[in-house]
Amino acid sequence: MSPAPHSRSRRGAPGTGRGSAHNRLRVFLVVITMVVSVFGVRLFQLQGLDPKAYAARAQQAGAATVVLPARRGTILDRKGVALAESVDGLMLIADPKVTTKYGGMIARILADDLGLDYFDVRAKLTKPGSRFQYLDRRVPSTLATHVVKHIQDAVRRTITDPDLRKIPFGGVYTEADPLRDYPAKDVAANVVGFLGDNGAAMAGLELAFDKRLKGKDGQETYEVGDGNRIPLGDNSTVEPRNGRPLQLTIDRDLQWYVQRVLRSAVQKSRSDSGSAVVLDTQTGEVLSLADFPTYDANTPGRARKSDLGSRALQGVYEPGSVEKVLTISSLLDEGKLTPRTPITVPATLPVQDRVIHDWFPHDRLHLTTTGVLAKSSNIGTTLAATQISSEDLYRHLRAFGLGTKTGVGLYGETNGQLPDWTSWGKVGHATVSFGQGISVNTLQMATAVNAIANGGELVTPSLIRGSATTDAGQEVGTDHTTKHRVISAKAARQMSRMMEMVPNPETGTAPGAQVMGYRVSGKTGTAQRVGKKCRCYDGTFTVSFAGFAPADKPRFTVYVVIQNPRNGGGGGSIGGPAFSRIMSYLLARYGVVPTGTKPANLPIEW
Amino acid sequence: MSTLFSQARTRIPRFADAAVERARLTVVPSRPVDAPRAPFVVLVVLLLAGGVAGLLAFNTTMQQNAFTATSLQHRADALAARQQSLAMDLERLRDPQHLAARAKKIGMVPPPNPAFVRLTDGKVLGQPVAATRLDAIRINTLPAPKPKVLAPKPRIVKIVVPRKADQKNGTKKSAQDRSVANDRAGRAGSNRTPSGSQETNR
Repeated sequence: MSPAPHSRSRRGAPGTGRGSAHNRLRVFLVVITMVVSVFGVRLFQLQGLDPKAYAARAQQAGAATVVLPARRGTILDRKGVALAESVDGLMLIADPKVTTKYGGMIARILADDLGLDYFDVRAKLTKPGSRFQYLDRRVPSTLATHVVKHIQDAVRRTITDPDLRKIPFGGVYTEADPLRDYPAKDVAANVVGFLGDNGAAMAGLELAFDKRLKGKDGQETYEVGDGNRIPLGDNSTVEPRNGRPLQLTIDRDLQWYVQRVLRSAVQKSRSDSGSAVVLDTQTGEVLSLADFPTYDANTPGRARKSDLGSRALQGVYEPGSVEKVLTISSLLDEGKLTPRTPITVPATLPVQDRVIHDWFPHDRLHLTTTGVLAKSSNIGTTLAATQISSEDLYRHLRAFGLGTKTGVGLYGETNGQLPDWTSWGKVGHATVSFGQGISVNTLQMATAVNAIANGGELVTPSLIRGSATTDAGQEVGTDHTTKHRVISAKAARQMSRMMEMVPNPETGTAPGAQVMGYRVSGKTGTAQRVGKKCRCYDGTFTVSFAGFAPADKPRFTVYVVIQNPRNGGGGGSIGGPAFSRIMSYLLARYGVVPTGTKPANLPIEW
Repeated sequence: MSTLFSQARTRIPRFADAAVERARLTVVPSRPVDAPRAPFVVLVVLLLAGGVAGLLAFNTTMQQNAFTATSLQHRADALAARQQSLAMDLERLRDPQHLAARAKKIGMVPPPNPAFVRLTDGKVLGQPVAATRLDAIRINTLPAPKPKVLAPKPRIVKIVVPRKADQKNGTKKSAQDRSVANDRAGRAGSNRTPSGSQETNR
């Protein structure tokens, strides 16, 4: 360490020392150059030739990507009760290669816990050559995990080797399977719709508002090691955007009641089908939109295909006598009639080559306008309607909403048919005036009658609370309700009083439609039906009853339509009692007290 | 570099040799250091050891936290699933059909006429009518229609026992015989089709 030898070595033997260092440097240089060129080539190979593939492979080696499923929006009724909601479900899957040995035991557990068919399941569990079998789908997750644990425990008990016992049995396992639950089953199923097995919307509002309800799936990529996330590792997350909920104007409990009453009415009269609509008079909110036959939205596969849509919106029929309300309202509005205008009704009325009959045989009658409506006389209505031109009647019926969709947001709604007045002729004018030769859907007709209940102002109906945009881009909901005047307030009041004579047992056709203690306005309809095959009246009928209560301060409009009853009943005897039951339930449920005013008592004869 | 250096050296004149010799850099003799080295070494060692240990501890806690996070996530998932299935059970109990069935079981019917009591003066609004059995509504769908005859008469098919001679002739003939017998039985029965009787035969 002394300085002397150090300085000597620096100075001493310069030639040989420098030369060997020089050679060493050269050798090092060559070695380093070689190594660096190898690195360079490798770098070029990695970065220059196909950098993305290598990057992706590197990512894949330790990265896990999980789809973060967006939760589908709930469909709620007007009080916030769920009509359709999404829950985390699981599917149970078996690997028959592993389960064959325990087939009987596992099948018994599945039959006990999930109520599956023992023999079906056993066949699946022991299927030769298969490694993947669905045992059950859309099982609530707690139940599914419970079942898997149950199976694992049972299998463990049969294994004696202590080492093998520690390994959990993997023959039956679960995978995510989002589950759409319709807690109220068939209640409002025709409106709400359902999802198919693959989770795609198939019908009803589920389909019409699919984009809104579905949301957008997100995904998360992160590095994993040994099943755990590596902290501070690379990770990227795209948050899922959950579907937005959809609130309806439907009242679930009311809807249930209406559906049961409707089903009783259809089944008692041995009819083909039926629809019923309940509207809030002032706001046009659809409180109930019922159809029968219907289906359980949890198991749509078991229903007939024709029952899956909404007949109330997608089916058309000729309204018959209920439409007389609109004709006579138009006449009242034009000032051509009063409720007491005398009309002489002959036994039959020839119009050009046709003869118009009434539903009941009679001689010459002396009815007032009220009487014509209360007795539902076709001849009387035809005679009264001669005072209005076809064009004016057409204009009024259009204003009542006939021939145009109500646009509540469901797909496949029909326009109904209101032929242009120029094509009517005399016979057409007569038949249209009493509701034949035109067709409507149930909601359209209910909306038209509701215009009278609402003092002559038509309120567009809505099924959605607030505002929502359908997939087709149509904005619907209570925020988009519009009103327009169809007839004067005076005409509406007159009509409401005239309609009070219909449920009156002494004067009208529908004593069964009364609600004791309340003033009820209504109108029966018994229309001839156009057959599917012959495109002519085939002797079957559509019977209906539309009405509102309390007559002097209407709160609700109810319309019941029954197709093809086979017990010989009419609108009064089939539709009337159903109307009365629904209306009395409504009035009690919403706490509408009787107005306590004197019921209308208009003369029906002169 | 080394060649350049040696050329420069050759060009230096002799008289400058001494100056060059003087200007040449020499190593400064190291001054004896008085400060003790030990504390510094200890400090460095401590810093290093502390850093390594700290890093290790940090990593360990991070790992531990990851494990905890995973297990908590599992627990949260399980609890969420449990909450959901409980909510589903609740929905099932709140289902109007379920409520109606239970109400019906204890003999309840919907009220036929709504009526109200005004609390301010005790006046009854509406016409209260006592509910009766007749006010009940059907809450379940009608049962499937029953067949007209509940206990159909048993079908008796007579089969002619093949004789021993036929059996010797072979199966074909006996089969023919049997179908003839079936036909006969079919005709004897009221409205039975031959195919039906064959099924019974099987």
